[in-house]
Amino acid sequence: MTARVPRRSASVIDKLYRSLTNVPLWALWVFVVIWTLPTLSLLVNSFRSRDNQRNSGFWRVFGDENPEGFSVFDNYEVVLSTESTNGMLQSLISSLAIAVPSTIIPIAIASFAAYAFAWIDFKGRKPLFIATVALMSIPMQVALIPLLRTYLGGAHLTLPFSNRTLSLVPDLDLAGSTWAVVLSHTGFALPFAIFLLHNYISQLPGELMESARVDGADHFHTYMKLVLPLSVPALASFAIFQFLWTWNDYLIAATMLSGGDPDVIPTTMRIVNLAGDFGRTEHLLTAGAFAQAFVPLVVFFSLQRYFVRGLLAGSVKG
Amino acid sequence: MRKVFSLCAMFLALTVFAASCGSDDGDTADVAVDNSALEAAQAENDALKKEAADAAAEVEQAKADAAEATAAKDNAEAEAAAAREEADAAAAASQGTDAEVNPLAGTAVRVTGPERSPEEAGALQAALDEFGDANDMTIFYVGSADWEAEINVQLEAGNPPDISIFPQPGKLADFAREGYVLELPSDVLASVQSNWDQPALEFGIVDGAQYGVPNKNDLKSLVWYQPARFEANGYEIPNTLEEFVELATQMIADGNTPLCVGIESGQATGWAFTDWVEDMMLRRHDVATYDAWVAGDLPFASDEVSGVIEEVLALWNTPGMVYADGGSIASTAFQANGEPLVNGDCMMHRQASFFSAFFPEGTPAADGSEGAVDVFYFPEGSTGRPVLAAGTLAGAFNDSPEVWAVMEYFGSPEFANARQRVQLELKGGDLSGFNTANTNSDRSLWAPLEQSFQQILADAEVLRFDGSDLMPADVGAGTFWTEGTAMVNGDTSVADGTAAIDSSWPS
Repeated sequence: MTARVPRRSASVIDKLYRSLTNVPLWALWVFVVIWTLPTLSLLVNSFRSRDNQRNSGFWRVFGDENPEGFSVFDNYEVVLSTESTNGMLQSLISSLAIAVPSTIIPIAIASFAAYAFAWIDFKGRKPLFIATVALMSIPMQVALIPLLRTYLGGAHLTLPFSNRTLSLVPDLDLAGSTWAVVLSHTGFALPFAIFLLHNYISQLPGELMESARVDGADHFHTYMKLVLPLSVPALASFAIFQFLWTWNDYLIAATMLSGGDPDVIPTTMRIVNLAGDFGRTEHLLTAGAFAQAFVPLVVFFSLQRYFVRGLLAGSVKG
Repeated sequence: MRKVFSLCAMFLALTVFAASCGSDDGDTADVAVDNSALEAAQAENDALKKEAADAAAEVEQAKADAAEATAAKDNAEAEAAAAREEADAAAAASQGTDAEVNPLAGTAVRVTGPERSPEEAGALQAALDEFGDANDMTIFYVGSADWEAEINVQLEAGNPPDISIFPQPGKLADFAREGYVLELPSDVLASVQSNWDQPALEFGIVDGAQYGVPNKNDLKSLVWYQPARFEANGYEIPNTLEEFVELATQMIADGNTPLCVGIESGQATGWAFTDWVEDMMLRRHDVATYDAWVAGDLPFASDEVSGVIEEVLALWNTPGMVYADGGSIASTAFQANGEPLVNGDCMMHRQASFFSAFFPEGTPAADGSEGAVDVFYFPEGSTGRPVLAAGTLAGAFNDSPEVWAVMEYFGSPEFANARQRVQLELKGGDLSGFNTANTNSDRSLWAPLEQSFQQILADAEVLRFDGSDLMPADVGAGTFWTEGTAMVNGDTSVADGTAAIDSSWPS
């Protein structure tokens, strides 16, 4: 008898303890719900008419009286139509035309550079690397307008005491074109890309490189056959970063493309105008947001297993 | 492998050298050198794979090709120059007489502006296309919600559009004084003046010279109401401000709510309040006082201005006076007042002409039917018949014949009519939302309700632009909104609020 009592109380404590250890989990769930709520409301509202959105909250969706002729996909139909100027299809293509090269070009250049900084012993390697990494600290906002000017007319230097003018950058007339945005994204991404990839690539075992050299591989071969396949996680994680950043970028695109050909503007610029004068078509924003978010979601979920691994890229030695 | 690398490096060095050697006016030469370098490099590449002797020949050949190309380009350019000269001569000869050669043919004009709804921007583009097609030129319009920031960037970078449409005369005046926006030449000015009354053109005048051409005019001194509901309750449209207040008091006594007020508008919350204050300023004080206030000579804390603000607040705070859909006036979106007015939650709503877009879909406008909405003129006080207006103005950044031709077109009745026709079609209802004070426009294109807007504009004894749009942005789009909202909420007293606005006025 006496032995049973402590056992029973122990089991009560056990239960209490077990339920208490679950508290953080439940708290997490509460946070998840709270954090997801705005997105959920956006999603639900994207299927409701303008008047319904204006009159009641998204949780009233089942009490909706839809105006005549409104079907739940009407907002998406407008947003994805090719006829309405509110249509976003063209801008989705433009966004891809910006985001894909803006992801691939920096990765290509940065991985070459990172390999060179890590494994090729050349004069001035360290100062050059420090200078490159130091460029990360320059806010891109201060460079935007000078950059646009360079795209517009090039950069020219008139030599003193002579009539010769050196074109440091030729007048390529890039302003208003997709290339202006791609080049800007490439330039602004390179310092960080080189830094990230260098940290990863420099930690590959040196013996590997040595044995490759013994087998007669030059730097190009070592890079292509050895370094590139080994650094896929780092490359992929940087690709996700860069793709999401360029896909969602508004500032650079607005600076380089505003007032020009409307066919080349990305979705971010399109969405800004979606609400219309005086917010008259605000109801389309909900559907527009999901049309815009779809592509990054696909990219993120298809590459996310690299993401967590890659975030730690170069952070721990050994 | 090493050979491939060094070849690539050589090729790169060659192109960089070629690109950097170009002198200022040597665009074509630049291209030619570039081409020859490219071809030579390709040739060299091929040559190494084959035999050295062949390579030399091929390089020779490539160089010859490049030379030929340069020659051909030179020729073409000479021809083009000659053609241009001819065209110029023809244009010069044909001035004054009817010409067959159109000097505008083949030109392009870029117009930017803040209007971006498919209906507005589409109608604007269609109206411009009409002129462009008739003259064999290309005009394209790009609208952006971020116009204000973008125009600054474009000017800074030296890439302004040919013409921009300004929502605020203040911004136009700033750019005109800095020398960016150009004064209308006398022939364009004369043509515009023949279509507009002087008060409407006044907004585009900076330091005595005409810089802007009106594009559209919005009317703010309007009260929206439902005639059927007025009739059922036996209410009369008030003719003076005193009658307006009496009518409101009568409505409260009858158990109705007189006014719908909401001033929430995202980042611009408070602008609806500033409109009320401006309208009341025009009704309580003479034009000179209003102008002094807008110019910054009369402080907000003065008896005149703070008196008017107190009057507006006292009216709104009268028990039973205001129906606020969102709980309080400051939390009710200005767009959200269409529905309650139609439902009868309130009887009147003072808001601009463009508010027609915010009624529930299918609400009839001024057709005498049950549930139709109509407007009456926000009644006059003791100062004649003032009208508060807003609108957009076109200003030119580049001095060229095609730009001035388009500017002249903006001021013409053809533009107003074309835009009205298309916008009405795109809106698909009775109301286009486009309003012009162009005196020669074809009024029959507008619905009766919108004709009455134009009548109110034409009848105005005093026409003044929205004051907050004319004030410095720190005030007109800043503290006047934020402090105004605080005063409406009761978070600040009128004395403190007006003092805060005054202290934010840039000196």
